[in-house]
Amino acid sequence: MKRPELISRILIVTGILLAIGAPLLLWARTPLIHARMAENGGWNPDVIQAEAGKSLHLKLTSDDVVHGFAVGQMDMQSVDVIPGKVTDITLTFDKPGIYTFFCTRWCGLNHWRMRGTIEVSGSPLDPEPASVPLYVSLDLDIDAPHDSSIIPNQKPSAVSGQQLATQLPITSYQSPDYYRSHSPYQVFTDLSDTSLTESQKWDAVAYLWQSNTTPESLANGKELYAQNCAACHSENGAGDGVFADDLAEAGEASMQTMEGAMDMVMQSPVDFTDPRRMLGASPALLQGKILRGGMGTGMPMWGVIFTEEQIWDLIAYIYSFQFEYEK
Amino acid sequence: MSYRFALLLLVMAGLVVAFAPLPVQPITPQERTFEIDAHQFAYSPSELHVNPGDTVTIQLVSTDVVHGLYVDGYDISVEADPGQSATLTFVADKPGSFRFRCKVTCGAMHPFMIGKLTVGTNDWLYRSIGFSLLAIFAFFRFPRVAKD
Repeated sequence: MKRPELISRILIVTGILLAIGAPLLLWARTPLIHARMAENGGWNPDVIQAEAGKSLHLKLTSDDVVHGFAVGQMDMQSVDVIPGKVTDITLTFDKPGIYTFFCTRWCGLNHWRMRGTIEVSGSPLDPEPASVPLYVSLDLDIDAPHDSSIIPNQKPSAVSGQQLATQLPITSYQSPDYYRSHSPYQVFTDLSDTSLTESQKWDAVAYLWQSNTTPESLANGKELYAQNCAACHSENGAGDGVFADDLAEAGEASMQTMEGAMDMVMQSPVDFTDPRRMLGASPALLQGKILRGGMGTGMPMWGVIFTEEQIWDLIAYIYSFQFEYEK
Repeated sequence: MSYRFALLLLVMAGLVVAFAPLPVQPITPQERTFEIDAHQFAYSPSELHVNPGDTVTIQLVSTDVVHGLYVDGYDISVEADPGQSATLTFVADKPGSFRFRCKVTCGAMHPFMIGKLTVGTNDWLYRSIGFSLLAIFAFFRFPRVAKD
C-alpha cells in the first residue's frame, strides 16, 4: 500500500470514528435521571444544575411506572417518562433562578410530592421583584372558615342573570378587581338594596362571574383541572375522586402520629359542588389556597408550578360547579 | 351392520358435532357499558360477556397509576390516568374469547394485569360435551379388536 493511500485511509477511519463517537460520548456522559414513585425516592437526582442561556440536555427514565416531566411556570410540552425507555429533552432557561420540575402523570397517592429543582445560575439580567399575590395584599386569612350563610335553592343561571343585567348598574361590579376580591356571597349581599328577588340576585352573581371569564379560560381551566385536580377532587368536583379514600386513610394514619391532634383532620378533598363553601370563597381566597396548598393535608402547593394566569383560569373553572354558564 | 359402516357413522356423527350450526335465537344487538376499575395489578370486573354485534363501551377508571387496556384480536386500546377516566367504544363483531391487557407499564406485575372479553356463547363447551358422549358411546358399543 502506498503511503498517501495509507494516510488517507487512516484519516477517513478516524473521521468516521469521531463523527459517530463524539456525539455518542457526549450523550453517554449526560447523567441519566431516574424517576420513581415518591414513596420510593422520587427523582434521582432531584437537584439539577444549569446555566442561564445555555441549553440543558436531560435524559430521563423510569424505574417503575409511567411518569411525566415538566418544568413549572415554563411554556413547554410535558414529556412522558416510561420504564425501560430513555426520554431526551433539551431545555433553555432565559433567566437564572430556581425552577421546579415535577411529575405530570399520576403515579399514585403521593404523585404530587414527586418534584425536584433546577438551579439556574448566571448573571441576573433584569431582576424583577416578584409581585405579591392578591390574597396577601388583601390580607386574607385563607384558613379561616368562609361559609356562605345563604345559599341559592337551585344552581344560579348566568343566562337569566344576563337578562337582568340591563336593568341593573351591574357594570360597576364587573371590574376584575372587584370580582377577584369578592366572594359570590359578598356580591349577593351588595345587591341587597336592589329590587331583585333572592334567586334573581344569585343569577346576577352567576352572570357577573361568567362575564369575568372567557370560554377559552374555562377550557384551559378544565384541562388543568382534569390533569392536576380531578384525581382527588373528582371529575365532577364532588371531592370523591379516586384517591379520596386513600387520602382519608393516610390522614388517619398521620393523625395518630401527631398525638391526637384530631382537629387537624382535613384530609378529605374539598367538595366544589358544596355551595355553602364555594359561594363564600372569593377568587383571591382560592388563589391563596392553590398557591400555597393545604399545609398538613394532601393538597399540594401549586405556586411554583402554575403561572398566575393558569391559576385564574382554574379558579374560573372551579366556580362553574356552582353556576350554570352559557354553553 | 358391518364394523366399517358403524365406524363411518361414528365419524359422520363426530363431524356433525364439530360443525353443525347450533340453534341460536336471534339476539338484537344492544349497547352495553362497563365501568372497569383498573388498579395495580388487576381489573375489576375482569371478565366481560357480550353478545355478537353489541356496541360495547368500556369506561376505564384508573385508581393508582396510569393504566391502559388493549383488547387482543380487536386491536383497540385506551389509556387512563387517575382522575381522567377514558372511554373505548367498539362493536363486538368478532365472536370468541379475547384477552385484554394493560398497555402501559404499570409496575413489576404489569404483564399479569389481564382480563377476558367473551363475545357470544361458548360453542366449544357444548361441542366438547357432544364429543365426550360420542366417545363414551363408542367405547362401550364397539367390539374391541383383539390383538393377538
